[in-house]
Amino acid sequence: MRLFFELAWRAFQRQMAYRSAAFAGLMTNFFFSLLRVAVMVALYQGRIEVAGVDLRQATTYTGLVQAVIGFLSIFGWYDLMNNVYSGAIAADLLKPMSLYKFWLAQDAGRAIAQLLLRGIPLMAAYALFVGVIVPTNAIQWLAFMVSLVMAWLVSFSFRFLLNLTSFWSPNSLGISRFGYMLVWFLSGFMFPLRFFPGWFVTFCQLTPFPSMVNTVNEAFLGMVDGPALLKSLAVQGLWLGMLILLGQWVLQKGIRRLVVLGG
Amino acid sequence: MLRSLSLYWRLVGVQIRAQLQYRTNFWFDVITAGMMTIISFGSLALIIQRFGSIAGWSLAELAFLYGMVEAAFGVMDMLFSGFDPGTFGRQVRLGLLDQLMLRPVDVVLQIFSSDLALRRLGRITQGAFVFILAIYWLDISWTLPKVLYLPLVFFSMVCFFGGLFVIGSAVTFWTVDSIEVMNIFTYGGAEMMSYPMNIYSNWMRRVFTYIIPAIFLNYYPALFFLDKPDPFGMPSVVYWLSPVVGFCTLWLGLSFFSFGLRNYQSTGT
Repeated sequence: MRLFFELAWRAFQRQMAYRSAAFAGLMTNFFFSLLRVAVMVALYQGRIEVAGVDLRQATTYTGLVQAVIGFLSIFGWYDLMNNVYSGAIAADLLKPMSLYKFWLAQDAGRAIAQLLLRGIPLMAAYALFVGVIVPTNAIQWLAFMVSLVMAWLVSFSFRFLLNLTSFWSPNSLGISRFGYMLVWFLSGFMFPLRFFPGWFVTFCQLTPFPSMVNTVNEAFLGMVDGPALLKSLAVQGLWLGMLILLGQWVLQKGIRRLVVLGG
Repeated sequence: MLRSLSLYWRLVGVQIRAQLQYRTNFWFDVITAGMMTIISFGSLALIIQRFGSIAGWSLAELAFLYGMVEAAFGVMDMLFSGFDPGTFGRQVRLGLLDQLMLRPVDVVLQIFSSDLALRRLGRITQGAFVFILAIYWLDISWTLPKVLYLPLVFFSMVCFFGGLFVIGSAVTFWTVDSIEVMNIFTYGGAEMMSYPMNIYSNWMRRVFTYIIPAIFLNYYPALFFLDKPDPFGMPSVVYWLSPVVGFCTLWLGLSFFSFGLRNYQSTGT
């Protein structure tokens, strides 16, 4: 466990060193959130509620989406695959730690830094310029925190899997890009899933993607509570378990055929 | 001029042949590179059933605007690949620009021909697809001025986005590092222009009318083609400003770039 924290801490420090890049990312996210809010307001056109979502919830939702982009690396994460292509993976595999945990620790540091540098400042700016609603009680806060951590774990496990394709294919980058596209389309990244037609939502729910964005946002906005909230957290846990198992299985297959050239 | 053109074709030809070496990768890239267009528009199409319209714009009318902006940005992104602030900034940082300055050919021409990212064809075709869908859905009353003006608007938009790219690259002469904030004006600008401008708050719309005059490239031409009334009551000349704004932006960008190039000091690496 000590090693895990050390690795996370190093990754955290590394991320904190790129403050100007994080600031640029923050500005971009904020600009895009302003655009999305305008679209949302224009869609509502004075309506109080659509599909059980009121305008305040909808606009806060768009802010939350932009706030988790850095935290969840929604636009892509290619570090592991780069190590496979460069051969540095050989050294990673020699570490006294499973490959999954080794990268999980580093991603933890990266994600927390992104949350501090981009996520929280974005929501603060958003609260100031657009207005947000926040959880109203401790239970809701707790559910949100749990859901956020789960979303990160699910997202990481999915990204880990995408990166593992580099053990087989020289075009892991292209495959991964396709994977991230599925995230954008099916996770509730574009719009709250409740706005979509029923058949589309049902289809999304057969995938792990809503567990990355939509579930967290609904927990934060108090759109689900009681048994439904517990169920959505359980679904996140289920997907996490499945993705971890799949990841371990794929990793084992992959290591067996990995050839690292010396040099 | 003729010599420049033939040189451009030769240099770009090399680029294209290189990109086509790995066929499977290439087609994979083409298809995925433009998927964001389909995903964004597809999501909008799915949820608009619930809302009806966006500030009085139907899905078909939105498709007209969206398809045109996406296709134009895609064409620009392909032709101006060399001026992509991200890649150009790297050239400045690594001192690769110095090599270009030693050759007996115009630097701007060399940068133009240094890259032509064919994978952008994905975004172009998917933007064009959305646009054609819009034409099919809408019952536009085509008149001669409209038919003649459409390609001009498209071309102006390409120039406008190109100007923004060139300005973004020129900034890196001073900052050395590529500045990601420029993405707000390029990618953010394209995203913003793919929606009707009347949805934005007054201050945002004023910025995009008087400071970065993007509104004359997408919104007013679209009002003209779709015979929609102008909610802001601007004089009717605004419908015809797109070529002026487009060419002026590109000209300004290139002038700023030459100015930067004259004052350029290498990083020495």
